[in-house]
Amino acid sequence: MSKPTFVYVTYIRSSAEKVWDALTLPEFTAKTWFGARHETEWKAGAAWRLILADGRLADSGEIVEIDRPRRLVLKWRNEWKPEIKEEGWSRCTIEIASEADGAVKLTVTHEANGPKLIEAVSGGWPRILSNVKSLLETGELVLKEKVS
Amino acid sequence: MSKPSFVYVTYIASTPEKVFKALTDTEATAKFWFGNAVTSDWKVGSPVAFHREGKLILSGKVIENDAPRRLSYTFTPHHGPHDGSDTSRVVMDLEQQKNQVKLTVTHDDFAPGSTVFASISNGWPLVLSNLKSYLETGTTPLYAPWYEENAGQKTEKVVS
Repeated sequence: MSKPTFVYVTYIRSSAEKVWDALTLPEFTAKTWFGARHETEWKAGAAWRLILADGRLADSGEIVEIDRPRRLVLKWRNEWKPEIKEEGWSRCTIEIASEADGAVKLTVTHEANGPKLIEAVSGGWPRILSNVKSLLETGELVLKEKVS
Repeated sequence: MSKPSFVYVTYIASTPEKVFKALTDTEATAKFWFGNAVTSDWKVGSPVAFHREGKLILSGKVIENDAPRRLSYTFTPHHGPHDGSDTSRVVMDLEQQKNQVKLTVTHDDFAPGSTVFASISNGWPLVLSNLKSYLETGTTPLYAPWYEENAGQKTEKVVS
């Protein structure tokens, strides 16, 4: 049986490099990811942690593959909710492809071992990626603060 | 086995009224829905039709209209590999959240053996990415790859 998977595709009028930076650099994630930041050396095999705005550890894992600005694969485990952490490792693949007419196709695929992480990321990714699209296209965020 | 269901959520800096109008307006849909202009009086039971360059692309019937919170219609594609014999269901839920609208599109109720699921899984992210750009920036950034004659079409500024 295939693993529970969340897939989200969005199209952004921007370049692949800018979309990559908006997803990875702290000055962008501070805005688009509701204050969270990555802690990693951005090379294959390096440890990866996602730190929330208040300093809590949200997720941890490892950079599995990195090919800026096209592909990033993360080994990913939730750290702040025990019932989700219990499900163990997931795999998150971010793919950025240039489309015709100055747009890029951004695909986030999150494969998990259980339903709880999928439920959590199904709430999170649309918010974050809506923000990335708005920030790059308009200079503004759609969601300045996280609303449930 | 559970029935396939496609769900897509996007957040738009707009109001439910504006998002609902864009989804139901002939001129607006022509702009962000890749030239597919919708016509309907949007009463429950009334027909819905999307035409592109005079050709019928999609047809359906209004199932529910609770403007500006919820719109549902049946969905029968007539273009590409689809011959108008395969009907499924679209539900659009709009929720105001502070300065933004959470738009959830749920597409389900596919006929057994339907080939529409694969088409709409590619289509909705394009249409809804364009809708978000249309409402936030006044431009539609994308072309639809399945209308090849339109590939490379330049973005048009919307005059509003």
